[in-house]
Amino acid sequence: MSIVADNRGLVGQEETPPVPMWRQRLKIFMANKLAIASCVYVIVLALACYLVPHIHPTNQTNQALAFGTPENAAPSGSHWFGTDSNGFDELGRIFFAGEYSLTLGFLAGFITIFVGTLYGMISGFLGGVVDAVMMRMIDAFLSIPYIFLLISLITIFGRSTAFLILVIGLTGWWGNARIIRGDALLIRHLDYANASTSMGASKWHVIRRHVFPNSISNIVTVATFSVADAILFLSALGFLGLGIQTPQTDWGTMLQAGTEQLQNGFWWEVFPVAIVFILVVVAINYIGDALRDAFEVRLLER
Amino acid sequence: MVFSYILRRLGQSIVVLFIIIVITFSLPYFQTHGILAPAYAALGSRSSIYNVHVWAAQHGLTSPYFVRLVRYVDQLVFHFNLGYSYKEGLSVVQIIGLYVPRTVWLALSALILTTLIAIPLGIFQASRRNTIADYAATGTAFVLYAMPAFLLCLLAIDAFGFHFPHLPISPPSGVAPWAIFTDPKSFILPVGCLTLLSVASLSRFMRGTVLEVLVQDYVRTARAKGCGSQRVLWRHAFRNALGPIVTILGLAIPGLFGGALIIEYVFNYEGLGLQTYNAALNIDVPVVLGITILVAIFTLIGNLAADVALGLIDPRIRIEGSSK
Repeated sequence: MSIVADNRGLVGQEETPPVPMWRQRLKIFMANKLAIASCVYVIVLALACYLVPHIHPTNQTNQALAFGTPENAAPSGSHWFGTDSNGFDELGRIFFAGEYSLTLGFLAGFITIFVGTLYGMISGFLGGVVDAVMMRMIDAFLSIPYIFLLISLITIFGRSTAFLILVIGLTGWWGNARIIRGDALLIRHLDYANASTSMGASKWHVIRRHVFPNSISNIVTVATFSVADAILFLSALGFLGLGIQTPQTDWGTMLQAGTEQLQNGFWWEVFPVAIVFILVVVAINYIGDALRDAFEVRLLER
Repeated sequence: MVFSYILRRLGQSIVVLFIIIVITFSLPYFQTHGILAPAYAALGSRSSIYNVHVWAAQHGLTSPYFVRLVRYVDQLVFHFNLGYSYKEGLSVVQIIGLYVPRTVWLALSALILTTLIAIPLGIFQASRRNTIADYAATGTAFVLYAMPAFLLCLLAIDAFGFHFPHLPISPPSGVAPWAIFTDPKSFILPVGCLTLLSVASLSRFMRGTVLEVLVQDYVRTARAKGCGSQRVLWRHAFRNALGPIVTILGLAIPGLFGGALIIEYVFNYEGLGLQTYNAALNIDVPVVLGITILVAIFTLIGNLAADVALGLIDPRIRIEGSSK
């Protein structure tokens, strides 16, 4: 292995040091104004969701009946976005729910990408029978009705936040594994991987030094989309009544409760939270797109 | 060669199908009351132990795991019998027969509309990259993609059912499979919502694929030899972008049968999605198993069809194994 390392060192010394790849990529990413705006939005919203409920707590657990807060009140000075059918302050509730939605979305998204990457790498790299068996397993998982699997797992493990993260994370990685496997399969047969193998590199070394670093762009992109999908999926669960249990809540459950009041004309229970929600998913997806553009080799200055 | 490949894949598919059956069959065993969970689901959570055991014995739940599994597979393979629903007085085959056509008509019409809209739209966006039209379409697609399905449906119902009351808010109830032809107006909202949601993701995918093709060397060559931009787009770019589309459409086939749960739920349209959801909530194992097997078969066929079609469309792709 030392020979390979020495050679690489020599090549580096002979040439004038080029602009590091990551800096070129960062430049492309930073040039995308909308992507920067998306990043800012996600970061500001996340900070608000984690801080506001603690700095400026609003009553989100005791219902209006006992505490005399107005139900379904229109936006006013004391309740900027009005109150919902339980008398909870809408603005405070958006942040209160966001804490759970974002935590769940990000953690579940990361689990899907972690497991998916590991599985896809191993499958794509080992190839042959192992690959075939592992991919047929994915086929099997993909064919089981997702909603049945989820409801079974939820009835087995309960609906606590930690288990919801695990359940969404551990049942959402099949698509990711396929994408990463395709990458690994492609890179494994490229010249530099072959060269490394011919010089006696072990399979593990080739995965670690060649296959993984070269598919990292795809992994990061897929990770962003996974997070957005996990947040969306959690909202669907909330709508079906399978989301986080009260007194905690998430954006999906909030939207579901709000849409019930839509017929009464209580627009403030739907649109503020809907806009916050849609914007955050759009922003994360847009960041993913911008990252993909930044990683696109053809756009680099060579 | 292709034949032996298809045969081999079919052989693998049968193994996969068996794994799926075993997983789905075993899941109820891990629930709170173990295999008695369906009995508690059917009789109520506070029913007496005696009643639960009688019910379980009547439905053959008391036999050992392997006996039940072997019996199930035997019935399935040799008698094409999927058992009876615990909850409804129908056999699983009857339930599938009732709801599959309804789900297929809904999903198929949406899929056809999606393909007709999304593919030209994606190509249009890619060819007019970074114009106002492209930004508008991309922005709309992003918002639609980020919108929870139920929110879009409920907003559509609110808008077209109440504020501008021109459309029926729900398809006719009942199980008539031909309802979409006898009462097409009431299907505008559900099919429209389903189409919008899928157009969002498919057009985005299409745009990316065509963009990727447009920077390839052969497109540059085509331009260099003097092809018009329309000809480049349709004869060179579109043909080469077909591959990924075929894969995506192949993956969409099982969705036709799995049903769109959220759409069916919101519009109260009795289809397979809603049926699966209710069966899962009631731990109606035979129904879930039956639907699982159906969806699985179409998933496997869809994957296989996509792979074979890819080999036909793109001569560079040799079906694995046939080059040996």
